[in-house]
Amino acid sequence: MVFHANMLPFFIITGIIGGAYLGFVFRQSNRSLINGMMLGGAAGLVGPWLFMTPLRSCTFETERTNTDFLLGLFFFFFGAALVIWLVQYISLFFHPDIKMRPSLIGKQDSRGVFRSNFLVPFLLLLPTLIILALFLYYPAYETFRLATFRYRLGAPRTPFKCVDNFTELLTADYGEIMIITLTLSALIVIFALIISLAIAYLAYQPVKGASIYRTLLIWPYAISPPVAGIIFFVMFDPVAGVIDHLTTTFLNTGIPAWSESPNFARFIIVAASVWKVLGYNILFYIAGLQTIPKDLIEAAAIDGANGWQRFRNVVIPLLSPITFFLIITNLTYAFFETYGTIDYLTRGGPTGATTTAIYNIMITAKQDKWLGRAAAQSVVLFVIVIGITVWQFRTSGRQVNYGA
Amino acid sequence: MRKLFLMLILALLVMVIPAAAQDDEATDIVVWIAFTDGRLDWARERAAEFNELYPEYNVIIEGYGSYNEAFDATLLAAEQGNPPAITHFFEAATQEARDAVTDSGEPLFKSVEAAIAGRTEINGVPVILDDVISAAANYYTLDGEFTSMPWNTSSAIMFTNMDILEAAGIEEIPATWQELEAACEVIMAMESAPEACITWPNHSWFFEQSMAQQGADLANNGNGREARATEVFINSDAAVAYLDWWKRMYDNGYYVYTGVVRDWTGTYNAFIAQQVAFLIYSSSDTTLITNDSQEAGFTAVASFMPHNGEVEYVGNLIGGATLWLNNGLDEETETGALMFMNWFSNPQNAADWHKFTGYVPITNAAIELLEEEGWYEENPNSRVASAQLEAAQPSSATAGALIGNFVAIRDVITSAVEEILLNDVDVVEALNAANEEANQLLSDYNELYGE
Repeated sequence: MVFHANMLPFFIITGIIGGAYLGFVFRQSNRSLINGMMLGGAAGLVGPWLFMTPLRSCTFETERTNTDFLLGLFFFFFGAALVIWLVQYISLFFHPDIKMRPSLIGKQDSRGVFRSNFLVPFLLLLPTLIILALFLYYPAYETFRLATFRYRLGAPRTPFKCVDNFTELLTADYGEIMIITLTLSALIVIFALIISLAIAYLAYQPVKGASIYRTLLIWPYAISPPVAGIIFFVMFDPVAGVIDHLTTTFLNTGIPAWSESPNFARFIIVAASVWKVLGYNILFYIAGLQTIPKDLIEAAAIDGANGWQRFRNVVIPLLSPITFFLIITNLTYAFFETYGTIDYLTRGGPTGATTTAIYNIMITAKQDKWLGRAAAQSVVLFVIVIGITVWQFRTSGRQVNYGA
Repeated sequence: MRKLFLMLILALLVMVIPAAAQDDEATDIVVWIAFTDGRLDWARERAAEFNELYPEYNVIIEGYGSYNEAFDATLLAAEQGNPPAITHFFEAATQEARDAVTDSGEPLFKSVEAAIAGRTEINGVPVILDDVISAAANYYTLDGEFTSMPWNTSSAIMFTNMDILEAAGIEEIPATWQELEAACEVIMAMESAPEACITWPNHSWFFEQSMAQQGADLANNGNGREARATEVFINSDAAVAYLDWWKRMYDNGYYVYTGVVRDWTGTYNAFIAQQVAFLIYSSSDTTLITNDSQEAGFTAVASFMPHNGEVEYVGNLIGGATLWLNNGLDEETETGALMFMNWFSNPQNAADWHKFTGYVPITNAAIELLEEEGWYEENPNSRVASAQLEAAQPSSATAGALIGNFVAIRDVITSAVEEILLNDVDVVEALNAANEEANQLLSDYNELYGE
């Protein structure tokens, strides 16, 4: 741990904020104000080191640029906030009033609360927590540490680069990559949900051979993203592809060449990615449709609701837990798993029109071998996806009807 | 049910016991090949033959999806003390392979020539290094010594759809950029004109070939061969001339761009579907193109890659990959690995490999063997790549560039080409920007590896 004199005022700030916040929280829940202030103050002083240790406090060195300094401050306060929040949460388990201790199961359900020692549930969770720590939190922390180096497999030297790997992302080019990522991901999720719900609703109808349709519909999910890429490439190849041949024969016009139409290239990526995830969504939607009580729909029919109204006002709300789950999984898919499809279809082109964040990470890490730079990019992507997921839980998550 | 279970156990035992027994007798030579297609099967067949001829060794071929995957896996395996004996790695990463060290600071690979140490045969297997064709020898010889064993070696050549050419009334296959442009004008003016005149993948390799043709180095210090390259010349006059011509071909509708960088499949399909009259491609698929064009009902004829007719033609260079010998093998494994490397490209195998793919026969003895067999008379297309490499004047430009971080720099080049073709950016401006970016990548690399 390296300490620079100019870090002192910021430590004072985080210490005061932590102390004030936890003191306030402790007072509110009838606990000792002094204890809360001391605990919060300590958390505020320790927290910044979470990121300052791997960074060796380098952003506070006098010769760094303002951008470096500001980014360093961000990490400084982020670490403090994380630890203060964590201490606050953990302290709740030690609340003298057992009723105030948080339930691990959920607020609505008190039947399963452990009334014995609160350590028992943690003991039971320990295997999971160990695996999470070992295979998720530790690697995530290592990724951040890696992002502070100019690291390359097989290189004799690995120079420390402070936050350079992050600040060099502050370019117009990378901003464009982010916009493309968000746009493509949003389109993939929206179309994947709408189309799969429509298909699932059809496949759910009691027709002859329904189980065969359903099985066939789920198949695309078993195909790997690169294979989806190859299939769509063979179809949409603008020069010698099947679709081009068909449109030329019947409509007397070829499909637009990817090289001249970046939006067409993006469309193909979205189409291939949507097609690939359809089977998965349909599987869940059919399962969801089967759980909808028939009497509800009948009741709506008796009340005079037509087919669309029944679908819109009964089926869709009852499917909301499934939809919410699928939004999260599809979003993760769109952000992280479309690399193979893009690689086999457009290779991120033309002129970067389909270069998404994950594609850029893979190119930087696997092809160009800059592991430190790729680590920085994946930290950025990680933060963005976490942000979107939290936002999802806060907004649409509230509207989910679990039927309880 | 129980019977089935017992049988399964038995079957497993039957499979495991001989494998375990074999381990005791023969030395394993693990070879990592960066192919997953028929070329991997070909290598496996050769390995099986070798194991039969030399039962004291057991060559095991394992396939990898890409050169980089095989390389990264080798590094990690070496750090865990269990590297393969041989790793297959590509030409543009030669500098990287030479520079690579393990965690302990030991070089990852060992120079093949140093390991052979002047022997002309190893346990009865003749050493082929002295007989390797000069273009490959020039590329892979550094500081006067072969660092790796050439295997799949190709060059960039042009294929012409003779049916379209005849329909347009053109008698000779164009040899220069200018002739090609004139031919395209005629072809595209035909009533039954194809979709476009020509295509080739937007792969930096073709850019590099064009630099060599015009005698221009891609990097300083003699293309990185006298000393470590510290500067690249992506914006040289030769590069500007090439891109000017390419852009004109594109703007006139002669060159069709598939819209995807490094698009080997799309360009190939365009030629086979007769949507273009010419295809500039790697000679590695000569056999395939010749056969596929016949099946599609037209004749494809191979010729030298067209060059700039306004400057002297210096020559083309190779592409492909070599086999690298891992450092720190025990003596017996190293001997076996060297035996296999040399046997793998003996005249018979090299000739067979050439017939199967179109990669050039890697030794002069293999070329002689093919001539004796009358192979070239029956398959004139197959002779072109070797002839083109033989015609090259030995120079730093035709030896090829050795640059650190070359793969990323290649990406910068292909991106610049896209910018120029699609976004109408000024050629000089785009190449200057690309040069700056590439120099940054090179200095980033040299910071880690340089002296």
